[in-house]
Amino acid sequence: MLTIDKRFINLLRWDLRFQARYGFYLLYVLLTVFYTLVLFAIPGSWKEKTAAMLIFSDPAAMGLFFMGAIVLLEKSQKVTSYFAITPMKAREYVWSKVLSLSAISLVVATILATVAGYTAIFPLLVGTFLASAIFTLCGIIVATKISSLNQFILATVPIEIIGFVPAILHIFGVTGSIADRLYPANVCMDMIMGDRPFAAGLLLTVALIALLLQVACRSVLKMWQEQGGVKL
Amino acid sequence: MIQVNNLTFSYSKKPFIEGLSFEVKAGEIFGFLGPSGAGKSTVQKILLGMLPNYEGSAVVGSVECKKHGSNFYQNIGVDFEYSTMYEKLSARENLEFFSSLYRLRHRSIDELLMAVGLENDADKRVADFSKGMKSRLNFIKALVHDPKLLFLDEPTSGLDPTNSRLMKDMILEEKRRGKTILLTTHNMQDATELCDRVAFIVGGKLFALDSPHNLIMSKGAAKVTYTWIENGEQSASCDLTEMAGDKKLRNLIAENRLQSIHSSEPTLNDIFMEITGKTLV
Repeated sequence: MLTIDKRFINLLRWDLRFQARYGFYLLYVLLTVFYTLVLFAIPGSWKEKTAAMLIFSDPAAMGLFFMGAIVLLEKSQKVTSYFAITPMKAREYVWSKVLSLSAISLVVATILATVAGYTAIFPLLVGTFLASAIFTLCGIIVATKISSLNQFILATVPIEIIGFVPAILHIFGVTGSIADRLYPANVCMDMIMGDRPFAAGLLLTVALIALLLQVACRSVLKMWQEQGGVKL
Repeated sequence: MIQVNNLTFSYSKKPFIEGLSFEVKAGEIFGFLGPSGAGKSTVQKILLGMLPNYEGSAVVGSVECKKHGSNFYQNIGVDFEYSTMYEKLSARENLEFFSSLYRLRHRSIDELLMAVGLENDADKRVADFSKGMKSRLNFIKALVHDPKLLFLDEPTSGLDPTNSRLMKDMILEEKRRGKTILLTTHNMQDATELCDRVAFIVGGKLFALDSPHNLIMSKGAAKVTYTWIENGEQSASCDLTEMAGDKKLRNLIAENRLQSIHSSEPTLNDIFMEITGKTLV
């Protein structure tokens, strides 16, 4: 359960501040301008699918890549050692990362969807948030177990394959079975495209997020405790 | 404040900490002394609730360490030997961030920065700080939430004599404010100066526990060493309490032939070596 209290609000505020300080927002301003130019440049009939792919593969999936950078930075500056001995709970840390990164995802996704002429913004926002949560949680889990950027890049390749490939095949209708519409990445892609997802698919996606959340919290706690050893 | 009874812990089948018992009273500075690998780090981890798989009992406040909740840390401040700061943030931002993680009272960040002479560097990025500045900042980071119990790990390491003095005065000031302080150091002079009691730990076992003064006095009397010229410079020494019975010394005094004379007490390091057979430095 997420306890929304003053500490969590502070944590979220500081995470947004760190992301601004470390240039995340500037980077996404530049990327959004670039993607917007791409969407303006392509034929109208391609816009919807191109925008969906852009939203799914970048703003929605950014947590997967950025969590590696964030956690490695915190490890290198030994901040994680300190987290182990503060009252902050692992679930507060995880939720703060998920919400702060999904905030960027939602803003960028809304801009790109508007440029592409989407009208179903609400499902797009839900789909983007769910995808962002899945990828950020996967990013956290992997990042807690690695010690270099190279290790992180290698470790995220399988996640990229199982996350992106089915969703991209799904968008082009390469596969079309009902099972495809239950796959969480495809559920998110459906919603990003403005489609109503299968209820069972949505349920599975939420269940996956709940499972990833548990694993992420345990991984963060373990990382803090392992990092938190005092060398005397 | 801390009660440890028959504490046993192992990373493998062989016990690493064995039957450790000690008590740290509220308001005292308790020194933990031992060579690397002695088990100090492990005991500290246990007391900080990070190693729950121990046997025996380790109670901090009134909480058994293996059963603590996250509020356990509201009243604990830890000054690690290494910097634990966001390097791109300023000193003030780091202190604001870490204090925001605690629900309880917060101390004035400006006053803390001033106390360690960092008031003019408050808005500078930590990445631009020297090692000594980072040490001082690390120390006050442990104080921002005004904890009752402080764990200090080599707090004067890397500091010049002036800042080392400043840091020691601040530690004593925190004791005067009623804090209980568990200090881990290799610096015997610091331990002698700061600690009410010290524990010698080697191989996961406690070898001695007493005030530095009692340890020094119980294990070795002060010595008097004197020199004179007789076919070159000669020297001899005797216990301070037996000076009057030292014939040679008495003769040299009577003949005004003493070149030098001085007394010296054994240091805490001497006592540590004598008791444990190991050296700290």
